[in-house]
Formats: sequence, C-alpha cells, structure tokens
Amino acid sequence: MEPFENKLIGEIEELQSKFNQTTQKLIKDVRRQDKIMSRSDKRQKQEYDELQKKFAEVEALQREIEETQKEVVFTMGAIGESRSKETGNHVKRVAQYSKILALYYGMNEKEAELLKQASPMHDIGKVAIPDSILNKPGRFNDEERKIMDTHAKLGFDMLNKSNRPLLKMATTVAYEHHEKWNGKGYPRGLKGEEIHIYGRITALADVFDALGSSRVYKKAWEDERIFKLFKEERGEHFDPKLIDIFFEHLDEFLEVRDSLKDL
Amino acid sequence: MENLIIDETVYTPRINLDIENGLIELVGKSYPENTFEFYKPMMDWVESYFSGNEQAKTIINFEIIYFNSSSSKLFFDFFDLIEEVTEKGKYVEINWIYDPDNDSALEAGEDFKEDFVKLNFKLVEK
Repeated sequence: MEPFENKLIGEIEELQSKFNQTTQKLIKDVRRQDKIMSRSDKRQKQEYDELQKKFAEVEALQREIEETQKEVVFTMGAIGESRSKETGNHVKRVAQYSKILALYYGMNEKEAELLKQASPMHDIGKVAIPDSILNKPGRFNDEERKIMDTHAKLGFDMLNKSNRPLLKMATTVAYEHHEKWNGKGYPRGLKGEEIHIYGRITALADVFDALGSSRVYKKAWEDERIFKLFKEERGEHFDPKLIDIFFEHLDEFLEVRDSLKDL
Repeated sequence: MENLIIDETVYTPRINLDIENGLIELVGKSYPENTFEFYKPMMDWVESYFSGNEQAKTIINFEIIYFNSSSSKLFFDFFDLIEEVTEKGKYVEINWIYDPDNDSALEAGEDFKEDFVKLNFKLVEK
C-alpha cells in the first residue's frame, strides 16, 4: 500500500514551482531594467557632452562675430581718420572719452560701450572727400569748406542702410557730430536736445582731442587754452551738461590722453 | 486581418506590417510621449499575425537610429513575444540595421542580440 501523502504537499509543490517561475521572471526583468537604465545613462552623458561642445562652439562663433564687427567698425573709423591725417590713437582716445561722458551722463554700461565702439566712425564720410581738399595744407576757401562739410551727410548716407545696432548708432554719430548746441552747426543746424546725445558726446570728445593734438598745419593747443574755450562754448557749441561732466572728471580724460599718446 | 502602416513622425518610426510578404518593419526614431500606447496597435497586430496568419518565413527589420528608454523596454517585450512564437515553431529572421557612424545604434543591437540568444538575430551594417 502506498504510504499516505498529505495532498497539501502536492499543492505546495505546485505553488513552489509557480513561485520559482515568477521570481525567475522578476530577476530577468530587473536585470533588463538595469541594463536599459545604464545604457540610457551612458547615452544621456554622451548627448550632454555633445550638447556642451556644440554650445561652446556657438558661443565661440558669437564672440567671433562680435569681435569681427568691432574690428570692422574700428578699421572703418581708422580709414576715415587716416584720410584726414589723424592718427590711429585719435580714434582710440575719442572712443574712450565718449564712453566716460556717456557713463556720467547716465547711460548704462552696455550703451556706453556701444557708443565707445561707434564714435570712432564719426568721420567715415571723409573717405568720399577728394584728396585735393582733404590734404590741402592751408585754410579752406568757402567752396572747399562747403565740400568738406558734406562729410557728415556722406557718412550718414554710407551707414544709414544698416540695421545693426552698432552701425545705426554710428550713423547718428556721423550725421550729428558737427551739430552745435546753439543751432549753428551742420549739416542740419539742429539745436539743443534735438541733437542726439550720441552726436553731442562725440562732438565734445572729437574737438577736445583735435585741439590737444598737433597737426601738419597747427600746433597742439595748451590745456589752459582748451579749457578756456570749453568754458566759453558751454551752451554754445557744446551741451552744458557734458561740459560740466568734463570738468568734474577732468582727471579721467587726462589719464586717457596720457595712456594713448601719439608716438 | 489587414496590413498596417503607421507613418513616420519626428518622434516615432515608420511602421510597416505586411502580411503577404511576412514583413515587420520599423524605420526611424522612437521617443514617443506615451510609448506603450503608441506601440499597442503594432503589438496587437503582431500577436494576431502569429496566431495562424503568419507566412512560413517572417522577416523583421529594425532600423531605429535613436530611441528612449521606454522604447528600449518595449523592444525587449517585443522580442520576448517573438522568442515565444519561435519556441512554438514559427520561423523568424531579425535584421538589426544600423549606420556604421551610429555607435549607440550598434551597441543597442548588440544588447538585444546578447539577450535573445535563441533568436535568429543579425546585425546588418547599412
């Protein structure tokens, strides 16, 4: 006779086998999940690295574009100046003076920096003035003066087509840097705040530097003579507020002049 | 039972399920927002195809250049299903097609091949 076996044992054995199957499947699933996770982590890392690399490239390109733009603008300014027998340092000094004036006038750093880059282009219109007039050693006659004075409008016409913020600013500077506060400037005879602040600032920076530099046809003015003229021209040629800023921070202007001397 | 074609989108592959030619084909990228929902019609089709509608020989072409982790999970499930039907005697060939420039596609193919040793799983360079 077969020994009696509790039927529960059979049932438990069946459960055991099912349990084994299930745990086997669970183990397989967990291993698979881990594999998917580690593969996905690895790939994410690669993708992230790749993205970082691309971002760095884009940033470098962006910088390259900005630098190129600055260089082009500066070179254009230098071309304009070389046509009028100015030196490269004149352009640099006018740029610095303009930025100082802009900041104390209340512009933010970004706008002041942009003006620093745009102001050297104020004379770009001179590239279209004939050599015979531009290089004339003595004084201009009325006819020559008239032609010479067209350089502001010529500069405006050259730059006016651009939509770049820097060149748009340069357009204003070129157009208005010979306007006078009292309305007696050119080309449009604008008065007071009708003249854009970019034009008013560049006018002062340009004249200050021109008077203090020697040229083939003239000696550099003594500082006292320049200061006397500036005081007389406060509210005449120049924006009174800018003249006040100039004298208040005179040391900063002289410092720039010393650091960027003509050789 | 009818053929099923799902067009490719930016996030999902083109799926071509062809009874007459015994062809199951996935081409493109796979990172749907809801992976299991997206692939449900395909999984249903494959199940009913192998329950008596299949050809003597079935070819599966996977040409997936990029996929997310839930797609990866789904592909494992898919190959589980294929493994089951081959154990029941159906003949299936799988081609994992990859671009030699795409390392991660090749690695993924190797992973699947390694996991499904019983399957006729070939890595095919494009």
